[in-house]
Amino acid sequence: MSEININVEHLTRVEGHGNIVLNAKDGTIEKIQWQVSEAPRLFESFVRGKPYNQLAPITSRICGICSIGHTLASLKATEAAMDIEISEQSQKLRRLAIHAENLQSHILHVGYLVAPDLFGVGSVVPLVGSNPDEVLAIVKLHRQANLMSDLICGRTTHPTNLVPGGIYKTPSPYALKDIRQNLLDMVPTGNAVGEVILANAGALPDFKRDTEYIALVTDDEYALYDGMVGSTDEEPQHADAYKTIVNEFVVPYSTAKFTKNKRDSYMVGALARFNLNADKLSPLAKEWADKFGLKPVNPNPFMNNVAQFVEFVHSIEDSVRIIDELLDGGMKQEPTPKVTPKAGRGVGAVEVPRGLLFHEYEYDDKGNCVKANCVIPTNMNHNNINQDFAAFAPTLLDRPEKEIELNLEMLVRAYDPCISCSTHYLNVEWVNGSETKKEGN
Amino acid sequence: MATTSFKINIVIDGKDYAGEPNQTVLDVARANSVDIPTLCFNPLFPEQRIGSCRLCLVEVKAGGRPGLQPSCTMPVSSGLSVSTISDAVYQARRTVVELLLSEHVQKCRDCPVSGECQFAKLCRDYDINGVPVCAECPNQGEGCLLTRGELCLGPLTYANCNAYCTRKGYRCEGCHSIMANEDILRFGLKAYKDAGFTKEEILVAAKVFSYDSMEMLEKIMTQEGF
Repeated sequence: MSEININVEHLTRVEGHGNIVLNAKDGTIEKIQWQVSEAPRLFESFVRGKPYNQLAPITSRICGICSIGHTLASLKATEAAMDIEISEQSQKLRRLAIHAENLQSHILHVGYLVAPDLFGVGSVVPLVGSNPDEVLAIVKLHRQANLMSDLICGRTTHPTNLVPGGIYKTPSPYALKDIRQNLLDMVPTGNAVGEVILANAGALPDFKRDTEYIALVTDDEYALYDGMVGSTDEEPQHADAYKTIVNEFVVPYSTAKFTKNKRDSYMVGALARFNLNADKLSPLAKEWADKFGLKPVNPNPFMNNVAQFVEFVHSIEDSVRIIDELLDGGMKQEPTPKVTPKAGRGVGAVEVPRGLLFHEYEYDDKGNCVKANCVIPTNMNHNNINQDFAAFAPTLLDRPEKEIELNLEMLVRAYDPCISCSTHYLNVEWVNGSETKKEGN
Repeated sequence: MATTSFKINIVIDGKDYAGEPNQTVLDVARANSVDIPTLCFNPLFPEQRIGSCRLCLVEVKAGGRPGLQPSCTMPVSSGLSVSTISDAVYQARRTVVELLLSEHVQKCRDCPVSGECQFAKLCRDYDINGVPVCAECPNQGEGCLLTRGELCLGPLTYANCNAYCTRKGYRCEGCHSIMANEDILRFGLKAYKDAGFTKEEILVAAKVFSYDSMEMLEKIMTQEGF
């Protein structure tokens, strides 16, 4: 049999730089690796010494897509460290912020990055010619999500309106009513896009690998903003214990740290959330999950794309519910929160589009950051991608090289990885020209 | 039989337009929503054509003396063809804005025009960094975030964002970085002094996006008696 050498450097239609390496000879795989080659980000070191109110704006710059999630995880960590309570109205607005980000990110991924694979083309550009209506519908949905983020967070990315202690400026009820109407208008457009995805979902490979799924869980809602850290393999734990859940370790071929918990690897993201919380989805989202035949626990990582679409629908419906609650309860203009800094340590855990995100800060008594640690969802998925490769590649070896490559690329893309966000370690030591990596924080 | 008024056909950016005999190229362009910036032309007194700011320059392609001409004083003539978007026009206008900016007294926080500043818009259109966020910010006077106790970095920060954050009532984080013009910084710092902010507070806030400018800012603050 022939030799197969696949080296995708770098994978396209994902955020950041990652390589796929596959070497096989006579039907046996010699090497299969998911390599992360992005430079380290060093965010944890440059927030040291910064005052508490600057941490969220700085750490939100870790990512342009999950900037709202990073801001909220950062604020929750700060608020936990300083025992700050936030009002119920602010909590609801923050939940809307998370939904806005989920809407933005999921439609971007499913619409612009995954759809080309389903239609068998290289990018979204040819789709503009062949399926203009669908592409325009996706652009419209994305725009509405951006407008919602702009209103709640002050910007479409890198929020200015979310501050320690609550919300800087409460949005006006009139603007919220507009957003509510926009969300209702999104439902038929979303349904139309869903039908197109459903018609082409056969292009997603049927691959199954049992793994551990980790996501936030609560008793009363589809957990995104708040909750305990749940797992398919163990009882829910408090986010404070995140270090015993993520168990980070370093591998020589990746600048991002890898993680594992009870099994060889675990997955976070839309599919993990669906697998743990499916019964708490909104009615229309449940309907769409049924149409796609998505049932918990689904062990096919490619179904993460579908789970993202289901969550997209859930976010629309749940946002309308939250806005109704806010408007019925009588919104009031809350004053800009004032915070008295104090020393302490806190962990913030939030579900962002790509999965579970942890921020941990330690503050001195003046409210300056002494130590920080951010564990990014893609970071936790790298190991699972690698394990999936090892299980998926042997089933592909009898196919042409191009097809193997495409399938492996689609697998990585299904995770919606945010690679450059995930490269968080310190201390690279160069010894005699060879690189050895030491774990930092 | 109705009298048909006499029309003169001219070409602007490759498209045909009709003008009256007493109109200028600028008039025809404005009547047809073709953007030509002006500063010295006052729409309240359309008969006064000073032609001194040179922002309305267009390039004559045919039917007149070739080269750059001010459109506000150029009468329409049959067969005239001009471009408002050529590279030569853009570069000439950009130079004009730059030269005006070099002479401009940067007292945006006192200027009555601030908030709807034509000049700030021109700087934005022609990609010139020179005015602070205050020039584009509508929160003048009572509405100024500084006077309300917010550490807004607007007076020290390059504009060109149309005051995206302050317009909505959030403080400026200084993401376009601290300006390099020491005179503007000196003027802006007075506002912080009036509002009672300390040197330490301002430096900590400015450091996030402008680490390179810390030395200069600290030097000026010391000179200004912070």
